[in-house]
Amino acid sequence: MNPLAALFALLIFPGGLSLLAAGLVYEWVDRKLLAGLHNRVGPRWFQPLADALKLLVKEEVVPEGVNQALFIGLPLVALAGALSAAVYVPLAGLAPVHSFPGDLIVVLYLLSLLTLGMGLAGTNTLDRFSLIGATRTLTQVFSYEAPFLMALLGAAVVAGSLSVSEICAYAGEHWLILTQPLGFVVALIGLMGKLEMPPFDAPEAHTEIVAGALTEYSGRGLAFFHLGRSVELVVGLTLVAAVYLGGLSSPVWFAVKTLALLLVMVGLQALLARLRIDQTVGLWWRYGALLVLVQWLVLILIQRS
Amino acid sequence: MTDNTAQGFTVPIGPQHPALKEPGHFQFTVDGEIVTRAYVRLGYAHRGIEKAAEARSWTQNLYLLERVCGICSHIHALAYSLAVEQLAGVEAPPRAQAIRVLVAELERIHSHFLWMGVSAHEAGFDTLFMYSWRDRETVMDLLEGLTGNRVNYSANLLGGVKFDLQAAQADSIRRGLDFLEQRTRHYLDVVSNDAMFLQRTRGIGVMTRAQAEVMGAVGPTARASNVGRDLRVEAPYAAYRDFPVRMALDERGDLEARFEVRIRELFESFRLIRQILDDLPPGELGVRLPRRIPAGEAVVRLEAPRGEVYYFVKSNGGDRPERLKVRTPTICNLTSVVRLAVGHQLADVPMILAGIDPCFSCNDRLVQLYQEETGEGRSMSWKDLRQYGIDFYARRQA
Amino acid sequence: MRKRFGTMLPDICRSLFRRPATGDYPFVAAVTPERLRGRLEWDPAACTGCGLCAMDCPASALAVAVLDRKARRFVLQYHLDRCIFCGQCVVSCRQGCLRMTGTPWELAALTRETFVTYFGDPTDVEQVLAVKPEEDPGTPG
Repeated sequence: MNPLAALFALLIFPGGLSLLAAGLVYEWVDRKLLAGLHNRVGPRWFQPLADALKLLVKEEVVPEGVNQALFIGLPLVALAGALSAAVYVPLAGLAPVHSFPGDLIVVLYLLSLLTLGMGLAGTNTLDRFSLIGATRTLTQVFSYEAPFLMALLGAAVVAGSLSVSEICAYAGEHWLILTQPLGFVVALIGLMGKLEMPPFDAPEAHTEIVAGALTEYSGRGLAFFHLGRSVELVVGLTLVAAVYLGGLSSPVWFAVKTLALLLVMVGLQALLARLRIDQTVGLWWRYGALLVLVQWLVLILIQRS
Repeated sequence: MTDNTAQGFTVPIGPQHPALKEPGHFQFTVDGEIVTRAYVRLGYAHRGIEKAAEARSWTQNLYLLERVCGICSHIHALAYSLAVEQLAGVEAPPRAQAIRVLVAELERIHSHFLWMGVSAHEAGFDTLFMYSWRDRETVMDLLEGLTGNRVNYSANLLGGVKFDLQAAQADSIRRGLDFLEQRTRHYLDVVSNDAMFLQRTRGIGVMTRAQAEVMGAVGPTARASNVGRDLRVEAPYAAYRDFPVRMALDERGDLEARFEVRIRELFESFRLIRQILDDLPPGELGVRLPRRIPAGEAVVRLEAPRGEVYYFVKSNGGDRPERLKVRTPTICNLTSVVRLAVGHQLADVPMILAGIDPCFSCNDRLVQLYQEETGEGRSMSWKDLRQYGIDFYARRQA
Repeated sequence: MRKRFGTMLPDICRSLFRRPATGDYPFVAAVTPERLRGRLEWDPAACTGCGLCAMDCPASALAVAVLDRKARRFVLQYHLDRCIFCGQCVVSCRQGCLRMTGTPWELAALTRETFVTYFGDPTDVEQVLAVKPEEDPGTPG
């Protein structure tokens, strides 16, 4: 790949700007659909963009008692992590921009950077709500991350590769949602946990701890965290759709499959009440991990025979 | 963090906090996620209403007191009217009393729907929040069609009510109630069967009957702990003598029970309103009261949507009250929040708080003085307080 | 019914195919009930200038200026911005001169002056304004 093409792919399409735009669109779809399910009107199409722009031009207040470098740097790291993860997934149904054996693991780690960044940002401040939110964020990471990873590894096992592009190629021929339904459920709900969507929004439960780890953030930092989450929504949806829903062969299929997944996620958001943090952890380790293990057991038995 | 560690990690909630729609201050000392100590401070919405009432005429006070609470506005005006009527030695005609009860029950429906939404929101169940508030619009429209206003209905007059109930309104109320009853049945199913929601309500904030009695809980909060306290049944006022109510009780005492008790009360309200519409007594809408109310004291207790409302009115024979005292149900129930929160997770605290249906501006009529250094309460005599006020303003002007 | 997940599924499914419950208010006029208590109106025909309406008003929104009781020349000053639409004046008026109307109910304005209405004969109003340009009952103490 020549440097110009690489830069274009990173900054304009499919990563970079177009990914940010896609993130805003998906965030809008998420909010609009949820509003529809609530029988509300919901935001107009440019609302996420307006929110992001507003935050970007606002003054960033750095509270007392924080490590300034971390306070400013963490949002950047979080957004960068989410954006770099996009390089390895088949965005818009195109082949991943970059690929190497084992990049699935890298993608999953990059996606965790956002959550990790938020958790660290929370612990960086002296605010009590931030500290509790950060504790909850970090606790939650340990609950969903392992089952989510194991679910996707189930797909990697049958594809015989840890490379996203090879798993996607395999998934293009096999609808893994049919052969690994348990893995799909865990991956989908794990994605909701990663994005701190209801019912896993205890870390930012605003009726208890205001805005959780991000309470002290305003202006640019908050905008970056929000954009990071929007990007992660797209990347996560792409990954799960590509692995379980028969691959993403064209931009049309990409849109159809990711939006269908999003609809399911929004439906779950609307139907489920928020879990307490102990209930979240209990749910993941009691049921999530168990489901994945059952899935693995089945896989191993089938592979043996 | 600035607190010394011996006291633990304290989470301040309020006076400005997303969980509270009104100002109140709570401090929860937590050990991890478990609350070990709870503390409440009130008085942020103190409006001096009782004192202001002494400066207004008997008629004007009707509208001032209606603004004690934004949600149960009618019940305050009703309590005040009943007290003044008691002092004047008159009684509103039966038709007026029935219309008063009709509005009070519509208000109860409005209040309970509102509460259900708020509590669901505290539990992060926004779908129930949105739907219950959507359906609340129905009862608000009914109240608007009946009284002319959506919130402060101003239905009462001293000695009666302002308007009559006509066939058109009765029909629209019946239609509205049919819709609401069907929705309420659905919500009862949701709050008692939704697996996720039950995780947040079942067994949370359990208040035993003994505790409820000791802490003086009132209203649905007490009835959810099997304390049979409902003034509509125990000491029927207005038209409740002619239209008896059945009390909704539950013995579990947790948040789920509070949901169920309130929803079962809704059914009772629907039944009562239909009965009133069917058997509305004929007659006058009001009697005229003199401008000067004979000297005396009156006590009135009513069952507001949140519990017992207590009114004391004293007249010296003039054209305005000499003293007026209001006690709203929230102040009786707040003790239970502080007590029950201990031992629960921080995440459950907003639910427990919302479970009593708090209304802060209603109960903010007492002022507590703190010595800044020690944080201890201190009492002042009237003379001292007056001197303190004079000194305070003198200092400020200097 | 048994304990289960997603009890609100019927609601959200129905809502997918339904218009939002939110009203399109600024674009579509909202329907108001017949009894809506809005702006006050005064019918001078039967007014005796007794001032009971002003006396009972809990918000000091009314003031009656009596120019000539015999000739029945009264001016009613009405502060719409103070009015709490309780309807007490309508009940207090024994002659039935006052009435609250539901239309128009959009009463917002940019200046405070627009909220003060003087009901009465135009020449009487002028006279009242000439005598006491800033007559204001104030808020009760």
